[in-house]
Amino acid sequence: MSIDFQQVRRQIIELGEAAERSVANNRRLLEEAQYLLHEHARDYDAVRRKIERVVQAYDRNLRCALPLDEALDQGYPLPPLPGQVAILAADGSQIAPSRHESFEYALVNVGAIHMELGAAQAPVLQVESRLLYEAQIEDLTDATLALLRDLGERRLLADLATELPPGAITLTDGQMELWLGEAGSRDEHSLFQESLLEYKLVLQQLRAAQASAAGYVDRPAGRGVMRMLEVLRMTEQELPEVRRSKPFRPLRDLHLFRGLLRPGERSALFEIQSPSSSFYADDLALHFFYLNVGLEGRDSLARVEVPRWVVDTPAMLDDLHAVLVQQCRVMGGRPYPYLLHRAHEIALVTLQEKEEITQMVLRELRGRGLEVFEKSNKQLAKDLESGRR
Amino acid sequence: MAAIEIGRLLRASNTGFVAGCRVAQLGSPEFGALVRVPLGPAYQIYGLIYDIRIEDDGLVRQLATVETVDAGTIADNRENRTTPIEISVLVAGYRQDGQLLHLLPPRPPLSLDLIYLCEPEEVRRFTAAGWFGYFRHVLRSVDLPVGELLAAHLQQAQQAHAAAGNPGWIEAAAQELIVLLRDDYQTLMAVLGALGDIAPFNR
Repeated sequence: MSIDFQQVRRQIIELGEAAERSVANNRRLLEEAQYLLHEHARDYDAVRRKIERVVQAYDRNLRCALPLDEALDQGYPLPPLPGQVAILAADGSQIAPSRHESFEYALVNVGAIHMELGAAQAPVLQVESRLLYEAQIEDLTDATLALLRDLGERRLLADLATELPPGAITLTDGQMELWLGEAGSRDEHSLFQESLLEYKLVLQQLRAAQASAAGYVDRPAGRGVMRMLEVLRMTEQELPEVRRSKPFRPLRDLHLFRGLLRPGERSALFEIQSPSSSFYADDLALHFFYLNVGLEGRDSLARVEVPRWVVDTPAMLDDLHAVLVQQCRVMGGRPYPYLLHRAHEIALVTLQEKEEITQMVLRELRGRGLEVFEKSNKQLAKDLESGRR
Repeated sequence: MAAIEIGRLLRASNTGFVAGCRVAQLGSPEFGALVRVPLGPAYQIYGLIYDIRIEDDGLVRQLATVETVDAGTIADNRENRTTPIEISVLVAGYRQDGQLLHLLPPRPPLSLDLIYLCEPEEVRRFTAAGWFGYFRHVLRSVDLPVGELLAAHLQQAQQAHAAAGNPGWIEAAAQELIVLLRDDYQTLMAVLGALGDIAPFNR
């Protein structure tokens, strides 16, 4: 027996009681947030100035939304689909090194798919698999491996887009901002800085190819707009406490835009204010909008991150907006961009594939007469256990 | 004429095997067709296709519920995705050192062996060898649509024999089936019923 269900049952009842208590409070907070959004819907300049002042004076690490010049409480309608456009999507997966296996190695697998909108031909697939070993995996952590994977996805997209006519749309899953996580060793930070520089080159390559780039976040947890409203809510006297003051904390942007956007509509555009804003400057500055990719009566909100060159090119932004909704509608009642799902399928390394790669490595080593260790006793015991289940 | 490849072997036993094929290859194999698996210069296994199965998965099921699916998405699912079409084959005999035998082969084919469709000349040679010994394997299979399988096979084999100037082959085959099934009225009626639907019996 691995779980005491009696204990868990008691806690589940407490969880239900807490959720019940939160409903009324969250409703009140949401109404206040919605009021603030409407109240400041057209105060773009004043809102930006206040946030920039707060960043300068009180919190350099503030993560929130900065309005551009679109009414904050409006939905922006679904544009028509472009006649012809190339859509590219990439995703990645990885095998992390384990000292308990017979041989320590890592693998980064990146898959991309290229489809011409409206074409009857099957899309073209591409996979890049990179094996890492010996010095390449020294000091490699889960976070840095994920960073290599993310960078690999974007690099592959940039290389593919460079070969295509202008106007191609490139998609990745998740936010566009490279992310190391909260903590991190010195080595991790050093690799992160190197990756950031390369990422910048990749973004510049995409911009030079006149391709759009977007990161698609399904069921987003972001609260940049909520954070912006929290700052707006504060008086001048309260601003020094901005780091600690998060009255709308239980709510996410998702709650704010649900009901505000009709199916197919996007929200206003926002710029991302974050500690890394200075890195993504000028044409690379990261922006986002929310998009209702659902159907009538079945809202489904996604967050879409784009760099400034996409925001500054209305045709590019409209094509991206229309194509994302079209891609989600391919999937019917569970909207998610079809090509992103396919990129995930292509990139995914299954447990069986991992085992096959391990066996290939071991055969190669044995074939050369090299010593090969067994799995650790701990791993062998675990394998026994999983075999019984 | 180049041999028509229909897929690669997924799993096998002495009595039957399953091949996986891509949609692009699906134009060739037909229910009842004779196929072969070359296992070396002097050894080849023959079998009859008795089932062609198109597998699904979660994505296909989800796409099937959408009002319209565009041509590119259909092509992607048919040509790129790894949901193979499975072709089940009943082993009918083998050829070793030039001799055709309607017996079970000494060993089955192996994973990923290539499977080819038999050309008319080969169909004629295999079905004319011996005296319809391979019917035993079909009639012994309780889970197969025996009547339909024999009818489909006989129709295809008849065309090969008729083209080679032997129109009487199918009558000899039907006679042999009647003899083999003389004590199994139910199966005999099912087989004759199916044969009644094919040329030349339906004239």
